[in-house]
Amino acid sequence: MTQLNITHVVVISLTAVFLLVALDRAGELRGPQPTYTPPAAPAPVVAAVVDPDKGKPPPHNDTVADLPDGNGREVTFYTCTACHGVALIKAQGLTRDLWDSTFDLMLERHKMAPVKPEERAEILDYLTEQFPPRRRGRNADNPFLK
Amino acid sequence: MPKSETLRASRRNVLKGVGIATVGASLAPAGMALAQGTPAAPSAAKGPKLLEMEGKAKLIVLGDKPLNAETPAEMTDDDVTPIDKFFIRNNGLVPDAPADAKAWKIKIDGEVEKPMEITLGDLMSRFPNVSYKMMLECGGNGRSFFSPEARGNQWTNGGAGCAEWTGVRLADVLKAAGVKPSAVYTGHYGADPHLSGDASKPAISRGVPIAKAMEPHTLIVFKMNGKDLPLIHGGPVRLIVPGWAGSSSAKWLTRIWVRDKQHDGPGMGGFSYRLAKTPIVPGSKGDPKDTVILEAMPVRAVISFPADGARLASRKLDLRGHAWAGENEVKTVDISTDYGVTWKPAKVDAPPNKYAWQRFTASLDLPSAGYYEVWAKATDSKGVTQPFVAGNWNPQGYGGNPINRIRVLIAS
Repeated sequence: MTQLNITHVVVISLTAVFLLVALDRAGELRGPQPTYTPPAAPAPVVAAVVDPDKGKPPPHNDTVADLPDGNGREVTFYTCTACHGVALIKAQGLTRDLWDSTFDLMLERHKMAPVKPEERAEILDYLTEQFPPRRRGRNADNPFLK
Repeated sequence: MPKSETLRASRRNVLKGVGIATVGASLAPAGMALAQGTPAAPSAAKGPKLLEMEGKAKLIVLGDKPLNAETPAEMTDDDVTPIDKFFIRNNGLVPDAPADAKAWKIKIDGEVEKPMEITLGDLMSRFPNVSYKMMLECGGNGRSFFSPEARGNQWTNGGAGCAEWTGVRLADVLKAAGVKPSAVYTGHYGADPHLSGDASKPAISRGVPIAKAMEPHTLIVFKMNGKDLPLIHGGPVRLIVPGWAGSSSAKWLTRIWVRDKQHDGPGMGGFSYRLAKTPIVPGSKGDPKDTVILEAMPVRAVISFPADGARLASRKLDLRGHAWAGENEVKTVDISTDYGVTWKPAKVDAPPNKYAWQRFTASLDLPSAGYYEVWAKATDSKGVTQPFVAGNWNPQGYGGNPINRIRVLIAS
């Protein structure tokens, strides 16, 4: 094994400095450089480019963790958030019957991609358990619902 | 706002001799009062999520995707709702802003003699421009009052606003295209992409009977409160079908398809924008075949001052709010501070034009300090008033317009 001597150190150091300067794209390691200033361009005649995203709401992305833990959380998350955010799910509290008809609404009205029957059942189980009716109003004990 | 700050603020106002000091404080977390005038620092109490968007006030976010946000009642005090305070309702994604708004194209086809495609620029110059102050209201406004819960975004009363809309009459455009005698309904299409991103699926497409389309206040709109219609509100061009469920007022309008039958686009069938024809058991599935289309919105009064949950320094209270009634005019608004045992009429102003909301005011002198509920109930020109509870339950929760109620605490 070759021992490091002073020549090695100098060569390695110089190579490192050369590489740093060569790769210094932001110019932080060099001193001020003379820059070329082009003559002022004539005023553009074309209309300013419109940013197509101007005026849009900020982008929004949910994660699986935004839904409460439970069996079926993942399949529910990926099925539902293909279109809408989890806030819409969490805002609702429905019976299994109504969650089931919500599924039909999503398929028929909103053209959701078809879901396998076993996945539908898993999602319904999850929604029914996690998001049951919560509003304990005057219809909470309706005799006709039993 | 923490309670201690609230109390301090109240005391300060009392010391200054302010008669009524509402400080936007909330007695209950369920109240929406947190939204107004609170400092930027987040409160420890978990309140509603507030909108953070350029050009928009801190509306209450009901959903981020699609973005839906309602205006808290205490933010609805303006006679003409400013753009920043106007509620946001989307069914799909927001389309790209056009590079040249005037080149935006709208197609009129179907049961017309001369199908046409017209640019927004041509539309603006070819037809008379008119301006009206008119209600735009989400069909699901008031859904949160249903018990048990109905499906969908849980709007309180904040899915409504009254802006000044400038545009051309849809009737003028349809007449230019020559409506055939076979025309019975319109179908409206917009450029908003489906939430899945699939361009072949319209996000929503609803319509109205020809008579409503030809009504002189039904407009193709390109200005809101004198400004170019903002993208988030359907700019550069949208429909305004005033007084009716907002979903017929298509945003980013691209096409009016004149139909020879009731329109059948997404949002017309099932229980979407439909009420149960035969009353159904609350919480049950109902029969989608036994429904009627929700057309005009029901009569509604909303107190804009004071805020729900306000702590007041005086028993004397100058109440303010707005009321509206779909196709009709509001004739009376009555106020109760004793749970409906007694009622007192408010002063109701005439609307500036048909379909505008109407200001109501009432001076109250409460008998003592303590907790009060203030109720407001509007009655329209047909004698139709608001129910005590949201009735006629339906799976998607339309027509929820119970008597408005705020809670206040009068300092002793």
